[in-house]
Amino acid sequence: MSQVQLDSELLKGKLKASRNLSVKKFKEDCKRFIFTQKIGFISLLFILLVIIIALIAPIIAPFDPIAQDRAAFLAAPNSEHVMGTDDLGRDVLSRLVHGSRISLIVGFSTVIISIILGTLIGMVSGYFGGIVDMIIQRIMDAIMSIPALILALFIAALLGPAIQNVIISLVIIEVPRFARIVRGEMMRIRESNYVEASRSVGASSFRIILKHGLPNMMAPIIVMASLAFGQTIIAEASLSFLGIGTPPPNPSWGLMLSDASRYMESAPWLVLFPGLALSILVLAFNLFGDALRDFLDPKMS
Amino acid sequence: MVEYIIRRLIFGIFVLFIMTAFIFIIMRAVPGDVVTLQLANSGATAEQMDAMKAEMGLDKSILGQLTDWVTKAVQGDLGNSLWSGQEVSQIIVDRLPVTIQLAIMSIILAILIGIPIGVISAVKQNTWIDHFLKIFSVSGLSIPNFWLGLVLLTVLSLALNWIPPLGFQSFAENPMVNLQQMILPAICLAITLSASIVRMTRSAVLEVLHSEFIRTVRAKGARERIVIFKHALRNSLVSVITLIGLQVGYLLGGTVVLESIFALPGLGSLIFESVLARDYPIVQSAVLVFGAMFLLVNLIVDVMYGWVDPRIRTK
Repeated sequence: MSQVQLDSELLKGKLKASRNLSVKKFKEDCKRFIFTQKIGFISLLFILLVIIIALIAPIIAPFDPIAQDRAAFLAAPNSEHVMGTDDLGRDVLSRLVHGSRISLIVGFSTVIISIILGTLIGMVSGYFGGIVDMIIQRIMDAIMSIPALILALFIAALLGPAIQNVIISLVIIEVPRFARIVRGEMMRIRESNYVEASRSVGASSFRIILKHGLPNMMAPIIVMASLAFGQTIIAEASLSFLGIGTPPPNPSWGLMLSDASRYMESAPWLVLFPGLALSILVLAFNLFGDALRDFLDPKMS
Repeated sequence: MVEYIIRRLIFGIFVLFIMTAFIFIIMRAVPGDVVTLQLANSGATAEQMDAMKAEMGLDKSILGQLTDWVTKAVQGDLGNSLWSGQEVSQIIVDRLPVTIQLAIMSIILAILIGIPIGVISAVKQNTWIDHFLKIFSVSGLSIPNFWLGLVLLTVLSLALNWIPPLGFQSFAENPMVNLQQMILPAICLAITLSASIVRMTRSAVLEVLHSEFIRTVRAKGARERIVIFKHALRNSLVSVITLIGLQVGYLLGGTVVLESIFALPGLGSLIFESVLARDYPIVQSAVLVFGAMFLLVNLIVDVMYGWVDPRIRTK
């Protein structure tokens, strides 16, 4: 066997071993999380439950969420309509179940796009520093100096009511927040010994960012993402409530509350259920984010 | 200190300028303008519309319009509403006090609720009281404030047959009516804010309580009340003040939805109405005012550090 072959065999073996090790470590981490962060684990289970409900919404919803039944409008909760019906006779439970899709789609899209863009911007800013950093940071400062909901409202209203426009406006407010965290981490990492070591052996900037930057900032990004998720869901509901978010007849929870606000006295259940669903889902994300933070970095809390 | 404040002010103006350009470009890059909206059903010809746009200065390039606007704004002329023709600066002066009053009431309420609960939580660390208060604070962070507003309105009108008086009146005109109109939206904003104050106070007080100097204070025989209020609470104020500065953005954003629900004629509802009507000068100026308030509050917060914590003052 030639030396090169031997080397590559050795390398393969090493890679496999390190992969096994990281899988094992991940399993152990999960176990530790379940045992030390019970509330966080229950929240995670609840989030998974909502995701499943959203996925199979058409199967479990008893009625069509946008089918109107003029004969049964504003019906109080009863055996047929467990959560009652709204002003157009639509079944509240079915709308609630389908509405979870909108909250989750907006939440996931916004958070994932914001993480990607924010990480890119933050890494570039933090790694290069100097004038690049200065320009990027001043733009981020300007965006963050506008109260988030006002900026979102401004952009969403200009673009018109549509789910993708809600996502665009929420991404614009979330990106600077991720970029700032990533930049901070990047600057910290840039000064660390192991990055200096890899630079001294001639590693390229790109390689240093990819190999050392990314893995080291996963923890703060994941925690931030979980907390941003809750804020995003509330923001979507707020925009829809104002009539500039998700357009009707989609069963967005915010839109349902907006309809409900006209029938507060005659049909209070319309106000109750969508708000509860919204609050509990956001609560689950916040509790999960908190638990994750305690778990990943006890010093941060 | 003075030099620091001046530097921060210059920096603030710079940020406001970038903000203006940002808003300006987005607003005009998006299709739909006020002339098309106003004349949509009037059967006006394309020439008439163009003439009207020229009259409003909307025919120039975006950069040209931006230069025009900034030149005038620096001289204190924020332009006129494209719909009513009223001076924008006058509209903002009329509307701003409502939003400021709402924000101040919310902050005061949030402090009154948040700090005591945070201190109790810290003192009773890991007891059932602490756990219960923790649930309260996380829930407060998770409940959308506009839903809280709807629930309060519903419960009060169904249970007590009470609704806030209609027709807005300022505090100067009629304090009783004004407070009745403002208290519910202020509570809604305060709940979320107090929830974060609780968490911050709790962890800050805990940190101080476990520090060396508190052991010394206890060792010299100080009463527990003095330990907590004079030493622990005072030392945790810095982080609470920082938090309030950071949360001002949330607070100002929240006014938009709550002013709409409770029909308060503030800056938040103004911005909402104007964006929908594509009334550029109003939106432009109102966003700028919100941004300026945010930067100003954060400057005040940074200056207050020195007042609360003399160690920072000397640096």
